[in-house]
Amino acid sequence: MSTVEHLLDNEKLGLLQGTLEVLILQSLKLEANHAYGISQFLQQQSDHEFLVDNGSLYPALQRLLQRKWIAGQWKTSPNGRRARYYSLTPAGRKELLRATSKWQRFTVAMAKILAPEG
Amino acid sequence: MRRWVSKIERALGKRRNLASELDEEIDAHLRFMIEENLERGMAPEEARAAARRQFGNMAVVRERTYESWQFPRFETFLQDLRYALRGMAKAPAFSLLVILTLAVGIGANTAIFSFVNAVLLRPLPYPYADRLEILWSGLGYSGRAPFSSFELFELRRRSTQFDQLAGTWVTNGALPGEGPAEQIKVADVTSNFLPLLCSRVVLGRFFGAEEDVENAPSTIILTHGVWARRFGSDPTIIGRSVRFGRHRSTVIGVLPADFRLIFPDDASVPPNVEVFESIPVGPWQPDGPSFLHVVGRLRNGATLAAALSEMDSAAAQINKLGGRASLGNFTVSVIPLQTDTVREVRPTLLCLFGGVGLVLLIGCANVANLLMARARRRLRETTIRAALGASRGRLARQFLTESLVLGVLGSLAALAVGYAAIHAILAARPPSFVNFDHVPLDARVLGFTFAVALGISALFGLAPVLSIRRIDLTRDLRESCRQSAGSRRPWTAALVSAEVALAFVLLTCTGLLMRTFINILHADPGFRAGNVFTFRVSVPGYAPLHLLQQKLAALPGVQSASAISHLPLDDAGNWYDYYYREGASAAEQTSVMADHRSTLPGYFTAVGATLLEGRDFTDSDDARHQHIAIIDDVLARQLWPGQSSIGQKINLSDSPPGFYQFQRDWAVVVGVVHHVQYHSLTAIVRPQIYVPYPLAPRPSMSFVLRTSGTDSSLAAEVRNTVSAVSKDIPITHVEPMQVLVDRAHSESRFASLLAILLSLIALVLATSGIYAVLSYSVAQRTTEIGIRMAIGAPRAQVLRMILADAFVWIVPGVLAGALLCLAVTPLLAHLLYGVQPTNLANYAAMLLGIIVVSALAAFLPARRAMKIDPLTALRYE
Repeated sequence: MSTVEHLLDNEKLGLLQGTLEVLILQSLKLEANHAYGISQFLQQQSDHEFLVDNGSLYPALQRLLQRKWIAGQWKTSPNGRRARYYSLTPAGRKELLRATSKWQRFTVAMAKILAPEG
Repeated sequence: MRRWVSKIERALGKRRNLASELDEEIDAHLRFMIEENLERGMAPEEARAAARRQFGNMAVVRERTYESWQFPRFETFLQDLRYALRGMAKAPAFSLLVILTLAVGIGANTAIFSFVNAVLLRPLPYPYADRLEILWSGLGYSGRAPFSSFELFELRRRSTQFDQLAGTWVTNGALPGEGPAEQIKVADVTSNFLPLLCSRVVLGRFFGAEEDVENAPSTIILTHGVWARRFGSDPTIIGRSVRFGRHRSTVIGVLPADFRLIFPDDASVPPNVEVFESIPVGPWQPDGPSFLHVVGRLRNGATLAAALSEMDSAAAQINKLGGRASLGNFTVSVIPLQTDTVREVRPTLLCLFGGVGLVLLIGCANVANLLMARARRRLRETTIRAALGASRGRLARQFLTESLVLGVLGSLAALAVGYAAIHAILAARPPSFVNFDHVPLDARVLGFTFAVALGISALFGLAPVLSIRRIDLTRDLRESCRQSAGSRRPWTAALVSAEVALAFVLLTCTGLLMRTFINILHADPGFRAGNVFTFRVSVPGYAPLHLLQQKLAALPGVQSASAISHLPLDDAGNWYDYYYREGASAAEQTSVMADHRSTLPGYFTAVGATLLEGRDFTDSDDARHQHIAIIDDVLARQLWPGQSSIGQKINLSDSPPGFYQFQRDWAVVVGVVHHVQYHSLTAIVRPQIYVPYPLAPRPSMSFVLRTSGTDSSLAAEVRNTVSAVSKDIPITHVEPMQVLVDRAHSESRFASLLAILLSLIALVLATSGIYAVLSYSVAQRTTEIGIRMAIGAPRAQVLRMILADAFVWIVPGVLAGALLCLAVTPLLAHLLYGVQPTNLANYAAMLLGIIVVSALAAFLPARRAMKIDPLTALRYE
């Protein structure tokens, strides 16, 4: 199991730092969520390939807030807990579209190169 | 932009809200996890612990999130700054020691650099200063002789490389205008001299073509000072005829307040000239006297080399013209005015600069050692912080910040020290610095100070950084807990050795300068200054002078009274010329120059000079009788080596018709006197020839009274006597002769004093370095020493062990210092007198000195080690 944190320690910090941010944006596409919910979502969606480190998650959320791609709001959860819910802003939605198409091109290209010759 | 704005807002205002919001968020996060754990059937305690584990390092999460709100570097810097200031406040003695060391080391450099800047780097305050050259005639053996009016005229006609060639001669004269008579310096200048050095007049005009003819009506230009002092800054002064000595003269101009003459010492063009009068230049007297000091301004684009070769060929042509120049090899040297002006000061300044540089290096070594020792003391803290996740870069940045803070505070203190030192130096400055009374702390000096301070603090900063480079977590945690040391520290040893070496170099140089000063104090000046009282008067002729001499000699307490045109070691405008014996060849006729002195009978007795042969002048030696002269032994040896000079004929210039109306004349030598040091106490600049006053009358004479001593009312009696002879005789320079001698000592006293001061600072720094390092090492080895003593090592052996440790640093230091001295002391040769740079006695004394002082510094901690109680030491952990 690789962790995002470990990937972040890599040299390609810029690209991979962006990765976590794109994943967060994607996790908020359907509904607002709190930090714990986001990390659960990412772990489950990646079949536990990604273990989201809180030391990366919280700064990433702050960066997204600063860029106004997400907005934070304190709400009460269905089971009665107060938590800070993050939701996509219109700018964040636009950014997600842009990043998604970029990632798709990137993964397709990677797959072409890495695919076993046949 | 908006991101920046929001960052700033957050950084400044909302930080606290954000932090508590983050804490709340993390809290919620944890509770979600705890709830899930409980649902999985964990016990509450277990659920909480597991959640914390799963969450990860909460401090790191906070730290990183905070960072995303900040300008990380700047904020970290502020944090480091706060930390550094807190650390300094916690260890005030340490911080004060570092800051003081820096203040003294850098402050000394600031002060000396200010002088280097003001004297050597800044251009002279004249228009086109970089094109100004001074010219010297090669006639006479010094190669630095003035020119005759004829020579200047002929050089001007032949020069294409110079825009202007101007000459001046400074003499004593009377203060112009009505009021009490006062003697001042008057400069005779060619009409183009002032415009060359001064861009404008405040009132009136410069000298011009109308003054450039023979027997033009007398006109003068006043300095701003004399205009204010004597004429109350009267704006209508221009065109007015004023009393000037025994004549009247028309004031045609007033110079600006900031104008001053800055010339080489030996040109006898002092800065305190107050009145200028014009002298014409012409081909009138081919064998006239040399008196003009010539400056020239190169035309735009001309080079010094071109000017030199042009002057060479001009001199060769002038040699063929006839006149005096044709007798010998007339040559002309051309030197940039600035270079020549600082010729005397330069070596002193550069040596001082080197000296303060050494002090700074020693100070740096000390501070580096202190910081490294502190870094080692903080090894445990550093190691723990590294273990908790602080990166090395972060730690390094913090150490660097700490040393920069020390550096900045040190350099501020250094500016204060430097400022005080500049004023102290100005107050004690010797005559060769007299031209340089304006020593500003300008941008260049400030830049120098901060560059030095920041440069060296960055270096210190690196010292502890180097030590954390090698952090090994497991070993260091273990070691710092055990408080053991014993590990060799090569850097510390090298720094202490370097301090000892540098201090030794400074001590050796100081020893040489002190020896020089003592030699100068004991140098025989050829006269006895004790109980001699002097003053200068302007007297119109022989009769009143003779009367004055008789009245003064009759004063109670006065043993003998006489007068001479130039007192030894005085600053009066000098007069010298060529002298030759009967039958001298053409070349010989311009090979010997001597100072020309006009005296009354009894001068040698009054001043305490030794008449070696023949007789003194008498009242009957005048123009009507045989023309005679007295020469000194130096001139006698040059003109008549191996034979008696009494009765020999010598060709000289005298002026029986009146002031300065010189003519060549043959005189008979009637006496030989022991050489009197006129220009310096240490060097024989020129021999002297003495001529009786009636043969060479001078408008200004200095009286010399030998007294029985202790009569404090003499000055008043002298003034009464002079005014009884005539109310119109100005009297100045009323002072004991010892004042002149002291002034002549001042150059050497100044150099020795500064050297002693620097050496003391160096010694204190070096010994405190040895002391501190050894104390630290003893403290570190307390346990080891305790064990040694517990198993039976005698106290003396412990003492020897610690001292041996110290000498492992001291001995290589002294050896390196001795080698450095061999390279450095020859640079001092120019400043030394009567002692060789490689003087063995001096080496030996300083060697002994440094070893004794270092041993003392080492002894204190060694004694502390010896007194360690084994039981306490073993419990020390």
